[in-house]
Amino acid sequence: MSIQFERITKRYHNASVVNDLTLEIATGEFFVLLGPSGSGKSTLLRAVAGLTSIDEGRIHLHGRDVTHLPPRERGVGFVFQHYALFQNMTVADNIEFALRVRRMRAAERRRRRKELLKLVALEGYDDRLPSQLSGGQQQRVAVARALAHEPAVLLLDEPFGALDAKIRVELRRALREVQQRLGTTTILVTHDQEEAFALGDRIGVMHMGRLLETGRPEQLYRQPATRFVASFLGAANFVLGELTPDGLRIGAATLPHEGAEGASREGREVVAVIRPEELELAERKELLESEWIGDAVVREVSFSGATERVVVQLARDTGVRSAATDERQANERPVMEITRHAGERLGLRLAPGQNVSLGVRRAHVLPTPISSFVVAARSADSRTALLEAPLMQQLTRSMRARVTVLEGDFAANTEPPRVHHAGVVVVASGPGAIADVARLAAAGARRILCIPAAAGLPERVLVHCLSDAARSSTLGLLASVMRHLHVEATLVCLQARGASRAERAAAFRRMLDTRAALQAAHGLDVRTDVHIGELSGFTRELDTRGECALVVVGSDASPSELQNLLAEHFSVLFTADSRCPVLVAVEDRQRPAHTSHEQEPRTSVWSST
Amino acid sequence: MAVGKPREIDRPGAHTWRARLGRAAIIAVATAFAACLLVVPLCAVFAQALAKGWEAYFEAFGSSDTHAAIRLTLITALIVVPLNTIFGIAAAYAIARFEFRGKSVLTTLIELPFAVSPVISGLVYVLLFGAQGWFGVWLQEHDISIVFALPGIILATLFVTFPYVARELIPLLQILGAEEEEAAISLGAGPWMTFFRVTLPKIRWGVIYGVILCNARAMGEFGAVSVVSGHIRGLTTTMPLHVEILYNEYDFVGAFAVASLLSLLALLTLVIKTAIELRSGYRR
Repeated sequence: MSIQFERITKRYHNASVVNDLTLEIATGEFFVLLGPSGSGKSTLLRAVAGLTSIDEGRIHLHGRDVTHLPPRERGVGFVFQHYALFQNMTVADNIEFALRVRRMRAAERRRRRKELLKLVALEGYDDRLPSQLSGGQQQRVAVARALAHEPAVLLLDEPFGALDAKIRVELRRALREVQQRLGTTTILVTHDQEEAFALGDRIGVMHMGRLLETGRPEQLYRQPATRFVASFLGAANFVLGELTPDGLRIGAATLPHEGAEGASREGREVVAVIRPEELELAERKELLESEWIGDAVVREVSFSGATERVVVQLARDTGVRSAATDERQANERPVMEITRHAGERLGLRLAPGQNVSLGVRRAHVLPTPISSFVVAARSADSRTALLEAPLMQQLTRSMRARVTVLEGDFAANTEPPRVHHAGVVVVASGPGAIADVARLAAAGARRILCIPAAAGLPERVLVHCLSDAARSSTLGLLASVMRHLHVEATLVCLQARGASRAERAAAFRRMLDTRAALQAAHGLDVRTDVHIGELSGFTRELDTRGECALVVVGSDASPSELQNLLAEHFSVLFTADSRCPVLVAVEDRQRPAHTSHEQEPRTSVWSST
Repeated sequence: MAVGKPREIDRPGAHTWRARLGRAAIIAVATAFAACLLVVPLCAVFAQALAKGWEAYFEAFGSSDTHAAIRLTLITALIVVPLNTIFGIAAAYAIARFEFRGKSVLTTLIELPFAVSPVISGLVYVLLFGAQGWFGVWLQEHDISIVFALPGIILATLFVTFPYVARELIPLLQILGAEEEEAAISLGAGPWMTFFRVTLPKIRWGVIYGVILCNARAMGEFGAVSVVSGHIRGLTTTMPLHVEILYNEYDFVGAFAVASLLSLLALLTLVIKTAIELRSGYRR
């Protein structure tokens, strides 16, 4: 491995800019860090060069720990967005700067300079001043200068950001060529997905200081794991689908889907990503070559060269529900975006207002455990309070997830509320909330978020699994929540007072296993800590400190058992003045009866964020 | 700061006779004002100095006191200007590049000499080092004279001319940003090499500009130096003080002759400054 980041954390004024980031980059690899501005990608790059120090974690370059080494001992080349050429020096002096620093002989320096200028196709420009060069030429010089001392690692911080589109494409090709010829391990930071696709062997997408996903460009585009990555890498339609044993159901269409056989009969709500080019339009549904979803009306047609972008709105009662909170998706008739290539355009000419049939070729199911939010409240005031709670605002805004509101008092009806296979059901926390959770679980809700009136944005997230069976799904939920809250993570091992040596060892092992599982399955790293005492004591302590922590509880207990467990261990968090939101994850028990839950050792693992 | 040429006003209506008249009026007022207040007095200085002919003029420079005054002025400038250049660069660099406690205090302190009357800054040194001052007795015991001697004059001049280089460089360094310096560091340069090879060349015109202003003030300072010098003829009188002494003695030709020399030095400074502006494109 050429570059290894080991749990890097960087804070500015106590806010973390890079958050527990772990990543390995292979020798000779071209790695692109992609993310919106403020996602921490540039900070990470500067940390590799030694231009910024990091608060926690380690950076290894070729097996050497460089975390505390000054820039000159790291052997990296850095290319800045605005070139940062030395304006008072000629091109030759600029390129030779690093060699002069290293006291290389003049003849040797000259030879190397000629080589580099040839490499970037600027032969004969030796005596020019940077101000006499165009932007593209200046950036070529900057690349040559960064490569002069033969660094093992080349770092580029938005190198094409200040250039116009045509030169950008040209330079991109040139850079790729140079990189391949020299085999230098390269990291490029950009916010332009097209650039990332064109250059990267592998792409890592960053958001809010976290590395959300890494993978080959095509893999990330076709099979993203998160909404953020799906929407950041090109246009995407998010719809709620239902995963049943027959396949993935979206409106009238049922698409084959791996893992569908394992799905339960009642179906499970999932978020499906449909890329605009995977949708098809036809005059009648018989003319579609793909699965018919429903009928739609054309709203917008715009021409953009090789392709055509069409926006359609689905007809009433197609059963297709949008998974996004986009304003135009407010009603029950979702809007979808389609791109059509020239051939399709000739086959069917479209105009706004025209009725069409919509078909889908392929849809990708996001593995996210949170598909949508359903707000279930007892009164209108409580409903408004829940919708406006900072935690709710942050989660829905960051996930861009759909929020549905159950009208009326959900607990007053004698029949169970319609929360069956919904995403996360949100209720107000308080003394009656434990009973509400049990009631909702009995009605089929699998994720229930209780938000107290006094809760702010959580500073930490704590996770507790009441049984091992619920662990993997709880960790999935934790990972999803962590990606959308700007918080750090610590895994706290909870040990009973006077526990035997063997018990303690087992608890430690479980903690490490859990951390490894989280890392392997979700690419998220957490810190670890140990707390000695009872679970109820821990929650009491949490409550006394008055800090705002989101508590995630995973369980595979039946609704009535769940009610007892919550009352036994977590009652302090459900008092009227509690500040901690609680997210309960209920897993369907699938095991045969003889491995009863009570006999299993309780996982005493907390993950705090 | 590099500021481009003013844009030629060529919007519709800019060439009517009223607009032209207005423009001509503004230019006339500015020019007339400058002529009355600046050029006329300057000419008067030379006219008065030459009132009794060239012979009398050159005779005025013959006295040993005048020589001493010129020498003292040059020595003061030679010591003060380099010191304030170094302090000024250091202060500007610290303010533009580092975050530290008391940064705003330092920024304000740099401006202090502009805000305080030069007389007061002179008095401060008398208060500190004078015979009745805090350190006066100790200094006398050790036979060190600061006030009414060269060290006092240098201290007072240092105080008064401190802001010129720093104030010139702070905005310049802030505008330039640290990217080129970071580039040098990433290429392996140490802090000194980065400063002398990258930072200093970028700000050199600013430094020279500051030095020129600093020098002009160091040679011309009257108030602060007047308080600490003691007006000992031939020993502690700088050129501005000497002009005053001669004037008070009704030696008008002598006074204006020295004054004309000071004015010539000032004009020379302006010429150098303009030459720099033309050469470097550096403009404030």
